[in-house]
Amino acid sequence: MAKVLIPTPLRQFADKNDSVELTGATVAEVLGALTTQFPALKKQIFTDEGKLRSFVNVYLNDEDIRYIKKDASPVAPGDTLSIVPSIAGGR
Amino acid sequence: MININQAAWDLMVAHAEKTFPNECCGAMLGNIDGDAKSVTQAVAIENSYTGAQGARYELRPEDLLEADRKARAAGLDLIGIFHSHPDCDAYFSKTDLENSCPWYSFVVLSIKGGKFDHANSFLPNAEQTDAPKEELTWPKS
Repeated sequence: MAKVLIPTPLRQFADKNDSVELTGATVAEVLGALTTQFPALKKQIFTDEGKLRSFVNVYLNDEDIRYIKKDASPVAPGDTLSIVPSIAGGR
Repeated sequence: MININQAAWDLMVAHAEKTFPNECCGAMLGNIDGDAKSVTQAVAIENSYTGAQGARYELRPEDLLEADRKARAAGLDLIGIFHSHPDCDAYFSKTDLENSCPWYSFVVLSIKGGKFDHANSFLPNAEQTDAPKEELTWPKS
């Protein structure tokens, strides 16, 4: 089982859980299990085309999955997935 | 609405004034009770924008992840992001909107001549097309 940490504002779509234990061999499988269990989370994280929204980053433990194997990154039991937004701006 | 306590507010203003004339950024931690958000801790985060920082800021996701871990360890929630607008008003700019995230409150501090002037909070939508104001209170506001 891997642990997925749910950001505070998304907990309302995940039965108020701050983390969820899920099974999956890859990041895609774990996130698929997450949105199967909590369908309302899907549109928060993914576009209608099924891609991660532009402001959504996923970290596998301390590593951004873009620098590993993206959503094919292998997940081992005990790993932690974090959903972290990209934020920037300027006047 | 979002309320910021004295300790968090002091840190936010000090960070914004110290980084003037550049933009600063950081995270706000606290609790949410229904529609009422209460910020009890602020975390100053380095502006990682690689160009001129007088009119831009960027948060490294790993710094935000660290802030979230700090919040969880303290039994708090990551509930907002703050940044400063040096020598201009606290509006939510096109750049702010296009690089926002709909999950958090975004507090903008206007710093004029190196000193705090005023602040506003915004709630950007998922499409990054609009960011209505939310009621913001802080000590002495």
